[in-house]
Amino acid sequence: MNYVGKPVKRLNDSKFITGKSVYIDDLQISSLNAAFVRSPYAHARVKSVDASDALKTKGIVAVFTAKDLNPMTSDGPGPWVTYINQAEWKFVPRKPLTEEARYVGDPVAIVIGIDKYSVRDAVDKVNVDYEELPSAIALEDALKGEALVHKELGTNVGYKKDFSAGNVESAFKSADKVIPVEASNTRLIPSPMEPRGIVSRWEGGSLTVWYSTQIPHFAREEFSKDFGIPSSRIRVIMPDVGGAFGSKAHFVAEDLAVVASSIKLGRTVRWTATRSEELISSNARHNTFKGEVAVKRDGTILGIRGDLTVDLGAYLTYTEGLQPAIIPLMIPGPYKIRDILVRSTAVYTNTPPITMYRGASRPEATFIIERIMSTVADELHMDDLELREKNMVRADEMPYKNPFGLVYDSGDYLSFLREAKEKLKYHETLTWAEAERTKGKRIGVGTAFYLEISGFGPWEYGEIRVDERGDVTVVTGGTPHGQGTDTAIAQVVADELQIDIGRINVVWGDTQVVASGMGSYGSRTISIAGSAAKSASRQVLEKMKYVAAKMLNADVEEVEYSSCEFKYKKEGKSVKWDEVAKAAYSGKDPGLYASVTLEGDVTYPYGLHMAIVEIDDTGIVRVKEYRAYDDIGRVINPALAEAQIHGGAMQGVGQALYEEARINDEGQLAVSYAEYFVPTIMESPHYTSYFTDRPFPSNYATGTKGVGEAALIVGPAAIVRAIENATGKRFNKTPVTPEEVYKSLIK
Amino acid sequence: MVKPGEKVKIKVKVNGVQYEGEVPPRKLLVHFLRDDLGLTGTKVGCDTTTCGACTVILNGKSVKSCTLLAVQADGGEILTIEGLGNGKLHRIQEAFSNNFALQCGFCTPGMIMQTYYLLKEKGSEISEEEIRDGLHGNICRCTGYQNIIKAVEEASKVRS
Ligand code: FES
Ligand code: FES
Repeated sequence: MNYVGKPVKRLNDSKFITGKSVYIDDLQISSLNAAFVRSPYAHARVKSVDASDALKTKGIVAVFTAKDLNPMTSDGPGPWVTYINQAEWKFVPRKPLTEEARYVGDPVAIVIGIDKYSVRDAVDKVNVDYEELPSAIALEDALKGEALVHKELGTNVGYKKDFSAGNVESAFKSADKVIPVEASNTRLIPSPMEPRGIVSRWEGGSLTVWYSTQIPHFAREEFSKDFGIPSSRIRVIMPDVGGAFGSKAHFVAEDLAVVASSIKLGRTVRWTATRSEELISSNARHNTFKGEVAVKRDGTILGIRGDLTVDLGAYLTYTEGLQPAIIPLMIPGPYKIRDILVRSTAVYTNTPPITMYRGASRPEATFIIERIMSTVADELHMDDLELREKNMVRADEMPYKNPFGLVYDSGDYLSFLREAKEKLKYHETLTWAEAERTKGKRIGVGTAFYLEISGFGPWEYGEIRVDERGDVTVVTGGTPHGQGTDTAIAQVVADELQIDIGRINVVWGDTQVVASGMGSYGSRTISIAGSAAKSASRQVLEKMKYVAAKMLNADVEEVEYSSCEFKYKKEGKSVKWDEVAKAAYSGKDPGLYASVTLEGDVTYPYGLHMAIVEIDDTGIVRVKEYRAYDDIGRVINPALAEAQIHGGAMQGVGQALYEEARINDEGQLAVSYAEYFVPTIMESPHYTSYFTDRPFPSNYATGTKGVGEAALIVGPAAIVRAIENATGKRFNKTPVTPEEVYKSLIK
Repeated sequence: MVKPGEKVKIKVKVNGVQYEGEVPPRKLLVHFLRDDLGLTGTKVGCDTTTCGACTVILNGKSVKSCTLLAVQADGGEILTIEGLGNGKLHRIQEAFSNNFALQCGFCTPGMIMQTYYLLKEKGSEISEEEIRDGLHGNICRCTGYQNIIKAVEEASKVRS
């Protein structure tokens, strides 16, 4: 039995392909429905709310405002303190409903009724009297500080910190050339296909919350903190989750309002976001880097300095604090740049709040450093990869401590790059593209390298239960929601226990079943949750050996285990897995379970991706091909890993070319898929994905480094580079729109 | 004429079962299927007929059930993901699983139903271009679509 390394089919597909999947809105729980009255203004004080007409609507149970619900919470979501230093931030915790709307869509009142139609009717009948306040929609306006998003903070700047290492002054003094650089990410919307939702039930002292989330245990902690309910009396259940991409590690005000309403009414209350509501619930990216690099004529990068400005939207969400603090640290990437200064500023605006999105800060950092590399290559007339090679950290410098103190665990970027060039046919493809261009076609090839930070401790939970029939339940603190890591974890456990994978069931996402857990995000699941499960498997096997030894009248050291058989070689006796399992529940010291809370640290996968684009006469760019070569450590399931590359690359195409959350001067976000363009099958390139045969494993027992975010981390940089290759013009932001490309063609 | 607040009687056959019910005239077909009949395999992913998560077969043609009223289906015959394959896995369902053509699975019922319609129309000679053309009304945020194309190709070749 050898499952690791094989493209084992996903173990839990059956319910998804037969329509038996149960996402939050599919739960057959008798409940009331909620809908929200939302501010039409970017910034306005709520003078009064008149719900009398709304309450007359058939089927309406209640209308609550901030006055009704906010006193029920003693606190509200602030930054994710596991990863974010709260002390560095100025913020106001979020409340269930607001008395001062700070973005268009900020929930002002909750309407509760018997079905989704009646609550929508009633929402239209709630009369709110607003006093409009001056607003700051654009980041530049917010920085001026004339209109304050949160008056009580006295500033729109939520975070300001200089990240400085080495001696930037002298680096710039000794430069042959100083090159200005710029890189911006326009605002995106993660857009999982399942909109968020929550069902809350209050049973006199106990709270059960079904929640479309990536982080059920953190949710339990948050609700406990906010509502003052002992967390032992809160159960958070994560049903099937229809995609998240980081955006469901995020508590929205609506969630709190639903929980508060269910407590107040003593009833079960449900809210499933409409797509428009989902689109305003979590926006992402939206930041700019402007700076300069100091270079030597031979291509050596001496130093970087610049300003990173991050739009926060109207509130500090659970996850957005990561970006301004992590982007700077990762800007040096795989390159040996020691002298660097990044002034990082994060600013509140009267726009929907920003959350994390697949890659969370590593896509931004990668876009910045890869734009720097490509720009420098152009200015010095060097080959893209030659310039990168010149500056890369060498294998003999590993583990390498970057100027900000991050320690890259393992890898050999230079020899990897040599292999990558072959695998991805770098030189041939460039030559071919050039030949195509002389024939009049607008073809471009772009590559970009990434070094990402993943794994993200601090710990994860894994438990193995072998029952009396010898079947195995894996309880994990990871929370797979599409990635297939449940299957990958089963592969790891099946190999460790040397049993048929069909006997293994992986369960997760219920705080009453899983003792503790962090969840799935940051490409961490197979590394940290997989390793925890692996280590628990070992412990269970030890116990089984002990039971077998008793059955065989042997010393435990004399028992050898392989392929479901415990052997006592000396006497030529053996007992089977199933017999041992049964025996373990009869004699003394019964039970076969082990749980491990595994500490873990970050790890650093890397890779080179290539995009091939074609541009038509109207400036429309199509990514024809996308090739990826990655060192993600040991690969547990190549088909699942490759699927992550495909999906991430598609989102990379979206970010590079199509996706832009537009907000007008009044602060109104475009709230439908008619205006926010998520790529369809028409925009999907052909992908080829390879993983190196000689991976550098991480320190995790699985040897894995993670792959969930890789392609979205590097894809936009590769695609933008391909457009530059096709047009000969420079582009410094995503998305690159047809208008911009068209202009570049006619100039 | 139906007066405000009045309900309308409808009769539909869903997955071979005849249903009769009263619905408000504004009720969407997808809500009738999900909330009244409990067939939650059909999903809702958008408000603008863009995502295709709600795709079902009505009288032999694929429709986005979020864009039809339940009353418009009166007298009709509907096939949803739950009715596909008669208790066994349909070849399309198998092909999706074989080819890793799903991740979170939310788009999957709609994708499969649209594929069902597409293959019925085009048969086994379907080209990649026709697959793209036929599925471009169904959004998947997870897979990047390549494995879906592979799945449809595989399903088109298997005899039912
Ligand atoms: S829910 Fe019907 S098309 Fe999106
Ligand atoms: S599998 Fe998640 S949307 Fe398609």
